[in-house]
Amino acid sequence: MTDILRLPAETTYAAELEALKRKDDAPTPRGWAMSPKAVVTYLMGGKAADGTPISAKYVGDRRLIETAVATLATDRALLLLGVPGTAKSWVSEHLAAAICGDSSLVIQCTAGTDENQIRYGWNYAQLLANGPSREALVPTPLYRAMETGKLCRLEELTRMGSDVQDTLITVLSEKMMPIPELNDAVYARRGFNLIATANNRDKGVNELSSALKRRFNVVVLPLPDDMNEEISIVTRRVGEMAQSLDLPAPKNVAEEVARVVSIFRELRGGSTLDGKVTLKTPTGSLSTAEAIAVTVGGLSQAAYFDGGKLSAEGLAPSLLGAIVKDPVQDKVVLEEYLEAVLKKRPDYAGYYRALVDLV
Amino acid sequence: MAAEVHYFGIRHHGPGSARRLVDALEALRPAVVLIEGPADASDLLPMLADPAMVPPVALLVYASDDPARASFWPFAVYSPEYQAACWAVRNGAAVRFIDVPAAWGLAAPPEPEPVSEDEAIEEADEPAPPPAIDEVSMRLERDPIGLLAEAGGYQDGESWWRDVIEESPAAGAVFAAVADAMAALREAAPPAQGREAVREAHMRLEIAKTVKETEGAIAVVCGAWHEPALKARVPLSQDRERLKGAPKQKISATWAPWTSPRLAFQSGYGAGVAAPGWCGHLWETSRDEIAVRWLGRIAHALREAGHIAPTASLIEAQRLAVALAAMRDRPHPGFEELREAAIACLCHGEPLVWDTVSARLLLGDAVGEIPADVPLAPLIEDLQREQRRTRLKPEALERELAVDLRSESGLDRSTLLHRLSILDVPWGRLAEAGRSRGTFRERWRLRWEPEFAVRLVENLVYGPTLARAAAGRLTARLAEAVELPVLCDLVLSALTAQLPDAAHAGVERIEHRVALTSDCGELLSSLAPLGDIVRYGQARRTDAAQMEVLFVRILSQGALALPYAVRLLDAEAAQALRASVLAADAAAVLAEVDLTDWRQALSSVVDDDQATPLLAGVAARLLYEAETITPEAAAELLGRMLSPGRAVADAAGFFEGFFDGAGERLIYDASLRAAVDAWMLSLEGEAFTAFLPLFRRALGNLDRMQRRRLLDAVFGRAGAGLQGRIAVADAEAIWLAHLQRLTDILTARPAT
Repeated sequence: MTDILRLPAETTYAAELEALKRKDDAPTPRGWAMSPKAVVTYLMGGKAADGTPISAKYVGDRRLIETAVATLATDRALLLLGVPGTAKSWVSEHLAAAICGDSSLVIQCTAGTDENQIRYGWNYAQLLANGPSREALVPTPLYRAMETGKLCRLEELTRMGSDVQDTLITVLSEKMMPIPELNDAVYARRGFNLIATANNRDKGVNELSSALKRRFNVVVLPLPDDMNEEISIVTRRVGEMAQSLDLPAPKNVAEEVARVVSIFRELRGGSTLDGKVTLKTPTGSLSTAEAIAVTVGGLSQAAYFDGGKLSAEGLAPSLLGAIVKDPVQDKVVLEEYLEAVLKKRPDYAGYYRALVDLV
Repeated sequence: MAAEVHYFGIRHHGPGSARRLVDALEALRPAVVLIEGPADASDLLPMLADPAMVPPVALLVYASDDPARASFWPFAVYSPEYQAACWAVRNGAAVRFIDVPAAWGLAAPPEPEPVSEDEAIEEADEPAPPPAIDEVSMRLERDPIGLLAEAGGYQDGESWWRDVIEESPAAGAVFAAVADAMAALREAAPPAQGREAVREAHMRLEIAKTVKETEGAIAVVCGAWHEPALKARVPLSQDRERLKGAPKQKISATWAPWTSPRLAFQSGYGAGVAAPGWCGHLWETSRDEIAVRWLGRIAHALREAGHIAPTASLIEAQRLAVALAAMRDRPHPGFEELREAAIACLCHGEPLVWDTVSARLLLGDAVGEIPADVPLAPLIEDLQREQRRTRLKPEALERELAVDLRSESGLDRSTLLHRLSILDVPWGRLAEAGRSRGTFRERWRLRWEPEFAVRLVENLVYGPTLARAAAGRLTARLAEAVELPVLCDLVLSALTAQLPDAAHAGVERIEHRVALTSDCGELLSSLAPLGDIVRYGQARRTDAAQMEVLFVRILSQGALALPYAVRLLDAEAAQALRASVLAADAAAVLAEVDLTDWRQALSSVVDDDQATPLLAGVAARLLYEAETITPEAAAELLGRMLSPGRAVADAAGFFEGFFDGAGERLIYDASLRAAVDAWMLSLEGEAFTAFLPLFRRALGNLDRMQRRRLLDAVFGRAGAGLQGRIAVADAEAIWLAHLQRLTDILTARPAT
């Protein structure tokens, strides 16, 4: 048992990675720890060549992961797009762990990220004492990845300013980073590449310049297609989280999860599950992760205030919060949904009443 | 001497097998080419090679007495059957269809009860398979290669064909490979039954007959699935036994122009083509350029749609497609690899962007042409039959026709003319424009133009009878229309032309559009035509229940949207919305539905300070008319809305909304009059002058008499307006005497 709250993927899944490398005879790009096929197996689950079972890291369309891996194999940078809660960072971490055995070269991009955090910084004591030199450089994760031929991960690329984003253009097209102060440059070794993640739903982010966007191959990770798949993801994660928060799980969790997920899916998909009624969609993303948060919120309400019973009344406030992100537009959407759909469903009567009261 | 028979198992509409087939025929140079297709349509086959015949075209076979029972066999330029026929004609080989005659499938069903139109359509389009055959075995028969490809992890059968079958370079070897695969498949599958067994027996017999008659090589072009069965040695007598009891049916056959999107539908050969555009591309493009040219076409389509698709991204897409193919152990990037690479590199990862261009790319936009000398088209025959039935003669001179919809013959005539108008054949033009649906009479002006016949043939794409072509064409237009009023109109025309299926499709489209629109004005203005449909539908027993549900839904959606829609409107928008609100209210009241939500929305408009005053006035009046607001409350409301504290313009707007077109109300409604009177008296001289134009506008549409009565009422001479017209006390006696005098005068009796 370790004291570390969360270990990096390459440590947690070291055994699986070893097993995959052991008998990997498929062609492997230079600088890669294993073949692209083995990487896909690692992400999607299956069996290693020697029969070791590999757990699935990503539940969804295999083709998307294949496209992502093939992109990295052609030395093009990969941009994972998606609404919040679609496992972008999770996939990026596991890709890095499988391809170069190191998922720790991460730059978290924020509005405050400047060029020094992307390219290199200076050790000012050294700089003042000895003048500019390689020793006075403070390398960034990107710098290190280029030097060692590894993958560098950029989290939430669009959160940093466009001017800073554009520093990446030379790195991506010429695979080198000039150091004008030293009249020198870092040349990337084979195996170097970039995986960026970005969120395509947020308002007020810095849109990628088309010059930069063109240098990425983009893979959009969608919300789960299949109702049962999504319910099982939510139930599993809610169970894990309830356990870690020491919340007792009431008996009716599964039923309520199914209702919450179906409300989410109907609003998100723009039609009822039976396809008979078309609906408007609210501005929020209503991702699986939010369905999990709503249920956990309801659980904690149930445990501390409602005597352990998970009820529509307990879930409704968090549901409302998840659905109505824009007070005018989304309210109309929700009202229409309540009147056109939920009102007519006897088993959703509790939700209808609770939500109508709140709206 | 017996001729040698060569079998070519092909994939229906497979460009890969078409290419190989032409090479193989060229090498073999057979004397006779036998093709899987209805034997009774063989006479039409040579026409395929006519230079004026441009695929896609379809062989259309229909029962002579009832064109509604029809089958289509479509041919694209890349259909192996088409290429085989063209090769045979060009090289002087005999060419024949050998499948069971189409007549067998088109014979009238034996059961006596009439078949409803829907069922007839299904039976005609694809001969119903025996129920024992499940879906997989049905697909096995129709597209075994597609099924094999799927088993191999391919979504596109053509890519599989190219990767797996065509890896061997010799044409003959390709067909041998297919034959081996099929032989293995058929061994594992249960033996052919029912219709399939009959078809194969018929083909075997035809081949045997040809062998006897022919010198030289015979080429048999058939679906790959049938090849092992056709080669099998089955005693001729056994085959003949199977064919006994074939139904008899007189048929007519002709060619019809087809379109490549329609190739994607299942009919005739049943294989259907998932992506005619892709198949066409495979056929046109040389093998080594398939990937790059396809990406080029995608980029071109994207640019046309306004996206940026730089050449550098094309290069990257090509590289990614190759890498993906390598990762999946495929020798070439196929359809899927190219699609995924295009999404990642050209569409910025957005499948939605791909979807916007893919429909056109995949379906293609080719339209077929047929030579002028093909046999008469069934639509014209159907029209002639209908003309006889309804006793309407086509005449070049214009004449008038009045039909009474209450009589059956009148209704039939009206239906026929309405259907023809939908087909863009305006033989009859409805004389009075506008909504005449309420009446039982229609007046038409009839004039037949020769080019109408040509237009009818063009409509063949939509169906073989007038009813089905009209329904098909209307459905296509419905799919394109976006705006609610247009959709409502189309549904109305579907109902008047007695096309319930099209009407049904239209209602579904309306439902869809209603859900997506948030434009309150659009919602409300669709209520009036929809209300018409509801009432009209009840008269004609169409699916009125569904439309009533829809009506209620639009009303409640409009009610929800109304309080937001009335805010911050300029004069023009306010006037437009006022018209919609008034029309919607009238329709809703007539439709006799639950109005609680609607009334509630109106009262929230009245109470909302942000609402545009004009609309608040309209809402208040509607509520007052519905007696939701008592006269006292209305007076109070008027007083409040028109109180001096409010901006003059706002008060005027409310006044206009309340009274415009309803000044008469003031004459009869004393308490309302009192409220207005009190308000006017409270106005300062200057404000009063400012309001004068408004008063004029509100009361200007009263006629002289009404104005006088209003004035009388205001000045307390209630009832005085009718002075002189009140019956005098002894009226009865006077009237009798008067009548007597009149009678005397009229009968010229001398006065007494």
